Amino acid sequence: MARPSPVRLVIALSVAAVLAIFLLYVSVAGGTPSIQPSQLKGHSGNVALVGKVVGTPQGDGHAAQGLRFDLQDVKGSATVPVVYRGSVPDQFKTGRELRLEGQLERGVFVAKRDSMRTKCPSKYTAKKDT
Amino acid sequence: MPELGRAALIICLGLAVYALVAGAYAAVTRRRRLSGSAQNALLAAFVAAGVASAVLFAALLRNDFSFTYVADHTSRELPTPYTISAFWGGQEGSLLLWLLVLTGFSGVAVAFGRRIGADVLAWVVPVLGLVTTFFAFMLVAVSSPFETQVAPADGAGLNPSLQNPYMMIHPPFLYLGYVGLTIPFAFAMGALLARRTDEMWIVATRRWTLVAWTALGIGQLLGAHWAYVEVGWGGYFAWDPVENAALMPWLAATAFLHSVMIQEKRGMLKVWNVLLVVLAFVLALFGTFLTRSGVLSSIHSFTESPLGAWFLGFIFLIVLGSALLIGSRLPLLRSKTRMESLVSREATFLYNNLLLVALCLTILWGVLFPILSEAVRGEQITVGAPYYNFFLRIFGLPLLLLMGIGPLVAWRRASLRSLGRSFAWPAAIAVATGLVLLLLGAGSSWIGLVAYTFSAFVLGSIGYEFVRGTRARRALTGGSWVNAFAELVARNRRRYGGYVVHASIVMLAIGIAGSSAYDTVRERMLSPGQTMAVGNYDLTYERLVQRDGPNADEARAVVDVRKGGESLGTLEAGKNHYRAEDQVSNEVGIRSDYLTGEDLFVITDAINTNGTVVFKVFVKPLVNLIWLAGLVFIIGSLITLWPSAAEQRRLAERYRELRALARA
Repeated sequence: MARPSPVRLVIALSVAAVLAIFLLYVSVAGGTPSIQPSQLKGHSGNVALVGKVVGTPQGDGHAAQGLRFDLQDVKGSATVPVVYRGSVPDQFKTGRELRLEGQLERGVFVAKRDSMRTKCPSKYTAKKDT
Repeated sequence: MPELGRAALIICLGLAVYALVAGAYAAVTRRRRLSGSAQNALLAAFVAAGVASAVLFAALLRNDFSFTYVADHTSRELPTPYTISAFWGGQEGSLLLWLLVLTGFSGVAVAFGRRIGADVLAWVVPVLGLVTTFFAFMLVAVSSPFETQVAPADGAGLNPSLQNPYMMIHPPFLYLGYVGLTIPFAFAMGALLARRTDEMWIVATRRWTLVAWTALGIGQLLGAHWAYVEVGWGGYFAWDPVENAALMPWLAATAFLHSVMIQEKRGMLKVWNVLLVVLAFVLALFGTFLTRSGVLSSIHSFTESPLGAWFLGFIFLIVLGSALLIGSRLPLLRSKTRMESLVSREATFLYNNLLLVALCLTILWGVLFPILSEAVRGEQITVGAPYYNFFLRIFGLPLLLLMGIGPLVAWRRASLRSLGRSFAWPAAIAVATGLVLLLLGAGSSWIGLVAYTFSAFVLGSIGYEFVRGTRARRALTGGSWVNAFAELVARNRRRYGGYVVHASIVMLAIGIAGSSAYDTVRERMLSPGQTMAVGNYDLTYERLVQRDGPNADEARAVVDVRKGGESLGTLEAGKNHYRAEDQVSNEVGIRSDYLTGEDLFVITDAINTNGTVVFKVFVKPLVNLIWLAGLVFIIGSLITLWPSAAEQRRLAERYRELRALARA
């Protein structure tokens, strides 16, 4: 009877090892829900909040009271007040889409320090609405 | 003018359809003249794509804002080099560049690929015709760069982040890589369609794969350097879907470049190699789909365009067609030989392949996870840098080690005695390096310490291979050590060029480990005259300078830099306000120490109206090794690619053997 090929054994063991590591990682670390302001209710833990800046931002990301602004659903009207401390990207301004990590605390989304990422208009930017 | 561009694209589409339909009919009915005609259609398609590209270039250089594309991506103030790079700065232009490169590559591949045999080439043409048809159709019907409008007085300008010399060459290199992967894919499919499952297609496309792989690698490093000097957050890679999109096909192509050697040497892994070449090509298409579909949230702004659905459909067609074809040819793809031992060169190549593919698929899973989680759970779950870094360590560190092990292990079966002899020096070097680094305090990051120890092992193994080969060559031919070394490399460019590429990957690993595991960062708001300390550096904010640039208002904080009390001069960091685009961008200040590879990286996080500046300062040890690795990578790839008369003779002999085998 022919011996089974070591190649198949190696592949089978490797796939099993990868799956084991993967399951271990996913069960330990998991991921971060990426949601918009309208979906914040019911999320008590850490989330990535995506939306666009509306109104006039107040304060300073480097000051103790932080930068305060409202974030709105990209395609919707639900908003949430945000307080943020840390580096503020140059692209930050009213109307800009951005992503922050943090959690909702008494109706205010408290963002993690330095977690703000504005959408970097890359070479595939959407056409302007004219 | 736009009419000429549109007409050229329509002609290009017609020629591609002809190459597809007539080429397929000619291959089925074995009509050689018709097949030749289809090949000529591919060459003519390149001319048509060239005319369309020339029209767009001319419109860009003339600031012809009646072209919507030109008005959307340039302005009168934009410096000429960036006006040229605006060709690939937008979606439509980048697609046109893709088509130009694709038709050019197809023409060259068909013209120089005749040695593979008329039967295979006859099938390669319609496959290339199919891909060309898709891209030409996109440009004709879905995303044309030749849309016109009433010309505005000025254009919108180019995104300031793209106004960087790296952006002039980074995208073209990526396209050379992405598009280059089409050629080995087309030859693999052509070989399967012609029922020629020997390694002829691999021999015929080895250079194409290497060129595409090299270009993709260089393109990614250029992109990383652009992010480092232009985006200004202190890093060079952020595991963004756009970056992952380029990394995944490169990893698949890396696995392919290694596994083809097993097929060439031992006639094994035929199915695996075909699967890898399909995976690399599909991932190149998938990357394009990602950047154009808007399906994922990214720090890059994706266009929500109809292109995404077309790309998804095309990817589905390619995956389905390839799977059916491979499935139908499985009996022909069975290996005649088998692996004799798990401790052999081919076994280490197999481990290397599995790790590379596992890393590639893990990244793909991370990219797709938000979409899949939304489909299953109703909300997007994103996996960030911790996920990717975890798997980079899990798969990357063993891969690094295997780079050192592979060259030292014999083909077929390695004995314990030969392993002990080969491993002694590299292992001793690695252990000594690890101990010294531990004593120097590198144990603060065990990942960094392991990476450095493994890197020392690989470099020791590469050095050992060069010394062993040079010594053997000198014993054979006499002469000096230098001559023997030069002859050694010249006579086996593929092998020793590969070792140089391995050395570049080690340098990359050292640079990444050093700059990420041992970096220092400090943030402080300073008034003029105040000083902050970061690592061994003392930085004094001297003054703020305002000046007019060619297309931007520039604000620069002048910083005096000292290290250990010794003055290193001044450094400028600040922001540019681009007038036409009305956008601000960070302009970082970098002081590189080329002796140690360390960078002092200064960001002006905020410039306040009262003259104070918030500085964010990084000290990044060994980061310059990453960029130096790029140069070594190019040198290694060039050595591997450089044609040699001896290799051409070997290749011709190989073709003869394979043709004789195919006839038998």
